[in-house]
Amino acid sequence: MTDGERKVGVFICQCGGNISDVVDVNALREFASKRVGVVAATDLRFMCSNQGQACLQETIREKGLDGVVVACCTPKMYEDMFRETAKEAGMNPYLLEIANVREQCAYPHRSEPEKATEKAKALVGAQVEKVLRLRPLEVKTAPIHEGVAVIGAGIAGIHAAILLGNAGHKVTLIEKSPTIGGNMARFDKTFPTLDCAMCTLSPKMNQVFNHRNVDLLTYAEVKDAVRTPGKFTLTIVKKPRFVTDACIGCNRCTERCPVSTAKSPIQVDSEWNLGLSRRKAIYLPFSQALPQLWTIDADHCFYFQRNHACRMCEAVCPADAIDFSMKPEEVKVEVGAVVVATGYRPFDASQISQYGYGKYPDVYHGLQVERLLSSTGPTGGKLVKKDGTPPTSVGIIHCVGSRDEKYRPYCSRVCCMYSLKYAHLIRERTGARVYNFYMDMRANGKGYEEFYQRVASEQVGFVRGKPARVTDVAASPEEEGKLIIVTEDTLASVTLRVPVDMVVLSTAMEPGDVDGLLASLHLDKTADGFVKEYHLKINPTETAVKGVFVAGCAQSPKDITDTIAQAGAAAMSASIFLGAGEMTLNPLVAEVIPDLCRACDRCTDVCEFDAVHVDPESLVAVVDETACEGCGKCTVVCPTGAIQVRQFTKPQIVASIDALAPKAVAP
Amino acid sequence: MTSEPDILALCCNWCGYNAADQAGATKIPYPSAVKIVRLMCTGMVDPYYVLRAFERGFDGVLVIGCHPGSCHYKSGNLQARQQTDRLSGVLRALGIGPERLRMEAASSSEGPRFAEIANEFTETVRRLGPSPLREVA
Repeated sequence: MTDGERKVGVFICQCGGNISDVVDVNALREFASKRVGVVAATDLRFMCSNQGQACLQETIREKGLDGVVVACCTPKMYEDMFRETAKEAGMNPYLLEIANVREQCAYPHRSEPEKATEKAKALVGAQVEKVLRLRPLEVKTAPIHEGVAVIGAGIAGIHAAILLGNAGHKVTLIEKSPTIGGNMARFDKTFPTLDCAMCTLSPKMNQVFNHRNVDLLTYAEVKDAVRTPGKFTLTIVKKPRFVTDACIGCNRCTERCPVSTAKSPIQVDSEWNLGLSRRKAIYLPFSQALPQLWTIDADHCFYFQRNHACRMCEAVCPADAIDFSMKPEEVKVEVGAVVVATGYRPFDASQISQYGYGKYPDVYHGLQVERLLSSTGPTGGKLVKKDGTPPTSVGIIHCVGSRDEKYRPYCSRVCCMYSLKYAHLIRERTGARVYNFYMDMRANGKGYEEFYQRVASEQVGFVRGKPARVTDVAASPEEEGKLIIVTEDTLASVTLRVPVDMVVLSTAMEPGDVDGLLASLHLDKTADGFVKEYHLKINPTETAVKGVFVAGCAQSPKDITDTIAQAGAAAMSASIFLGAGEMTLNPLVAEVIPDLCRACDRCTDVCEFDAVHVDPESLVAVVDETACEGCGKCTVVCPTGAIQVRQFTKPQIVASIDALAPKAVAP
Repeated sequence: MTSEPDILALCCNWCGYNAADQAGATKIPYPSAVKIVRLMCTGMVDPYYVLRAFERGFDGVLVIGCHPGSCHYKSGNLQARQQTDRLSGVLRALGIGPERLRMEAASSSEGPRFAEIANEFTETVRRLGPSPLREVA
């Protein structure tokens, strides 16, 4: 039902030509001014500017508006801002709607200006009809629970946790592996400065480990997250280490563990060295791991796999720290905000079978080479072939998995630079000839181009082209015993066969296995599989879920510099969110018209959030506004129309449909 | 039909609507006679809205939500699927034809997919001709 007394203002944004170059803004304004209820219609160059907002406020005050339609870009951009502006001028913010004439008219229909204008009229008309039927809404608030959870303790999570802890927040840092540090802890040197990676990471690991405001849960995974207004309740499963805190770190258990010894039927690849070495069933991932707590891998331990056949670690432990009876433990953590810093994993190079990873022993993926170059790696930092001899020539293939429609269409952003780093380190340490096979060289960070020029001057070969394959089938005597990279040199337009001793595949970064976590937090992914940020440009650390923030490679591939910057920004955003102390509750939730309710319980049956119950006294459904998400499933199954979602009531939606319908468009 | 078939697209706030924004922002064209109504969730799509759209002269109705398993509200898109499936029978009985209603999924980043759905459905409806209810009205 419309109220004849309503006064609606229509404000049309030219968007500096983005809209007005396509949509005939004068015709749109004329159209709008003739709608029933519209008392003011105007257009401005930029509605989002100070001038635009001042105009909105002045008109609200002067004309006493109780309804506004802003015809501009998508409501995802400035709906909140315009509502706040209207509120400051004394209007209820929920009487303002956006007509999305940029993303839905000017942009997609820019080759048909007349049709774009007609559609813009329909959209504005529909929103005017909707606004005429809106009611002012009251906004309630809920307190925000104290504390923040940071999920993932790589460099992004560690940095965010330290900053949040420094700001005085109680931080729960959750890491699924037995140690903090993430992928960066595996690195030897970092580009472009060739700093020792652990020399920069290790102090941060120690800082976060000893931080009085940071509670660290390692070898623990978030199993579920329940969101209520102002609070996230995380269910975390702490996996059993079978080693208690009494562990003194003497390493006797590892020395005596029979797993992965020469004659053992159980051999375990070291996750830390990415399969380049074996590890025991009881182990510390690496010497600087934190916490310095050993872990038994039950899947590969004789005690668990061979019916308690072996208790060697228990026998040699001087601290009685072995406890085979440990069980997974569930803990609940209540926090007000969450930072997702789940990082990345390297692309599985065996998917591209023509490059021979997994087939030829001397073909390595990108992250493995970090371990080969690292003094804590399986070769003690000596770059050698599988037979123990140093290579005389090495080929580095860029964009393995990245920029490839079949695998990962995006650029992983770090591979050019880490390939150059490897080229430099390999030449420096072995004197081998190094060839880079690249599609395009991307060196777009501070000091990166300079690093490229430096490596280019170090007699490193560059071949522009994407190799077709790696083979060990020799076509000439000099290719005997070598791996031959077959490629086109697109600059010289020739096909090349380059024999080398070792091949490095500069593999893409891909999102980790976090689908379950994202689903329980209601987070979306972008098409590339990484966590979707609220807005790629202007809000890259927030997400569509209030109180959930994202940092580092969980959001997109990035280098350490950018990871640190984004982790800092995410910590700042989370701190501001927590510091506000309370959050506004979404008023766009279900409400019941008591007289129409028959207490049939259909709404309670379909509700996913346990947000509606039939009151046994009054026999009327009652909505818990702190639990209702406003999805409106109940409104469809209600047989009498007693339950409606505010701002999306049936009369409001029908009015929009009618206004958009062909019959409604006035000639 | 003199011009483009008129299509109503009922889009959820989280996936379908954002996909349309993506199509627009990246300047991917689709027929201008596809008009969007933003709902919070496709779970909110009442069969009445679809019938009303046909009554008011639309030639086809699209319901665009999240992919199964990624509904912002867990299962709203599944309820929408049930409702649209049931509605297909009603549209057949009414002589409007079930082909004029389609439910699709497009995630928030699938702008090209939105445009593809809009183009393809417009073409399907064009082949069917104007809605029989257009003549009555």
